[in-house]
Amino acid sequence: MKKGIVNKIALVTLLLMLAILVLGASGVGAQQGSQPQLVGSDLGLKGKLGEAIANAPVGTGKGEIDPNAPRGAFGIPGAPQINYLVAILWAIWVGWIFSTVGAFGGIMAGVGHMTVYGLGDYIKTFKNTAPQVNKLLTDSIRTSNQFLVGLSSLLSTINYLRAKRLAWPLGLALGVGSIVGAVAIPALTGGKVSFSQYQGWFGLFVFVVGGVLLYETTPRGQASKKAAKEAAKAFEQSIKEKKDEASQGIKVTQWGLTETRFTFFGVEFKFNPIWAFVGGVVIAAISAFLGVGGGFLYVPYLTSIVGLPMFVVAGTSAMAVLVSMLTSITTYITVAGAAMDWGMIGVELIGVFIGSMIGPRTQKYIPDIWLKRLFVVLALYVGLRYFSRGFFGQSWVP
Amino acid sequence: MGLWELVDKVLIIFYKISGHPVFDYFLGTFLLALLAVVVGEFTISLVFLVNKNHLDRLNIQLANLQQLSMLALKLGDKKSYDACNKEANDTFGRVFFNMVGLSAAALWPAFFALAWMQLRFTGIEFPIPFTGLAVNYVFTFIICYILARMFFGRVKNRLPYFRGIHRMLMEYEKSSAPKIS
Repeated sequence: MKKGIVNKIALVTLLLMLAILVLGASGVGAQQGSQPQLVGSDLGLKGKLGEAIANAPVGTGKGEIDPNAPRGAFGIPGAPQINYLVAILWAIWVGWIFSTVGAFGGIMAGVGHMTVYGLGDYIKTFKNTAPQVNKLLTDSIRTSNQFLVGLSSLLSTINYLRAKRLAWPLGLALGVGSIVGAVAIPALTGGKVSFSQYQGWFGLFVFVVGGVLLYETTPRGQASKKAAKEAAKAFEQSIKEKKDEASQGIKVTQWGLTETRFTFFGVEFKFNPIWAFVGGVVIAAISAFLGVGGGFLYVPYLTSIVGLPMFVVAGTSAMAVLVSMLTSITTYITVAGAAMDWGMIGVELIGVFIGSMIGPRTQKYIPDIWLKRLFVVLALYVGLRYFSRGFFGQSWVP
Repeated sequence: MGLWELVDKVLIIFYKISGHPVFDYFLGTFLLALLAVVVGEFTISLVFLVNKNHLDRLNIQLANLQQLSMLALKLGDKKSYDACNKEANDTFGRVFFNMVGLSAAALWPAFFALAWMQLRFTGIEFPIPFTGLAVNYVFTFIICYILARMFFGRVKNRLPYFRGIHRMLMEYEKSSAPKIS
């Protein structure tokens, strides 16, 4: 009897709740807020950013545009004025990392754009008030991130072209794949990814990189590296013959969709162009979406998964990075309408080349393993912070 | 007068040479690009001189490891091939990212040139005949920059400072061929 009454009460309560929800969904008792006044003009900013600014609310609060405020980043009134001294100092740090450890520099450049220069916090304010401004400026961040690592491949590619060290069959498969990935991602996601979403995915990627770096600092990771070093050294000592092979080029012996063969130094190699194509698509897509990752993903993929020697893949992967970077940046700017702050990138490049001159001088004082440990800590901290802020709205670390 | 205003006053002179707007735009952009090339070449030469020994060590190490991996393959020694390839992988990563500094040193003036052009020429479009499409200042600057690079490449070994750097670069390229001891 008691159980029967409880069931009836529960049923009535549920039905009442359902009725309230139906009424609410129909608009009964809805709060009618006043429509905000919009900017109504592109304020001299062309393209999609100008259109989005015109539709943003006018005002001096967060997520609003004050047309009378001084112009800041991307030429937007009221946007943060990038402190060029801070920008140069941060870029010197990025250049130092590039010339000591390497890959992590791109990640730190992204951190600079998102956090250090204050752009991330500014962009987030538009999440609810002007979502299109939020998404377009996120695209600008993604595009800015790509310049630094992508530019590094320009000189490398020219050098390898001069030395005739590009494996054209591989380059073609990889290049076509990377173009597909580098066009698809900006075209499909340009103007659609909010800053929080981007920050979350960036954080996840950084966390994974931190995990890889962490493994390399463990005894097992160190042992694997040490074994490879010793094996290479032992082999070098066993070789008596001195021979300059640099003049021999790559000769294709068979073209095929699933198997292409070529000779190099009299040794025949084969690879599956479809795997090279797929790798190009995936890696270019990752680097186009995040703005980082292309530079250090191609070579391990080609040597470990496709199984080609370093000598063959070096120039080709540099070319793939350049091609995918140029394609992705062009697509973001022309199709997605990402606005660029060229002065910010110019200042960063100055800092990067200064940092890259300091790095070799300090490297002998800091053992590689301690550098990696420092970056593990940074990667895990940045990764966790961005992941939690991006996807959960608040940081899990201070 | 701020620095940017001063720079603007100087750079706009490139665009007022003949009085014909379209011709002046392209001539001015080419001269601006040439200035960016020259300044970039100067700064890249500085980075090269400062980092030469470091880059030498890395490039020679990479070339040696690459050759070792090839020799291992020819001899059918898969274990040595994998080990040498892995080491070459690591070294390539260092070489690749060290190139960032050189690239940054060469290209930073181009981005400042673009920043200035953004202030002056945003909104001006150049229609491509018969297509209905148009390009902006970025596209025209890139074309002029490539032409300026090609032009400077031909004349730089006749200019005092750059002649010396060019000679050094040629020697550097010859001497960095791999040798296995």
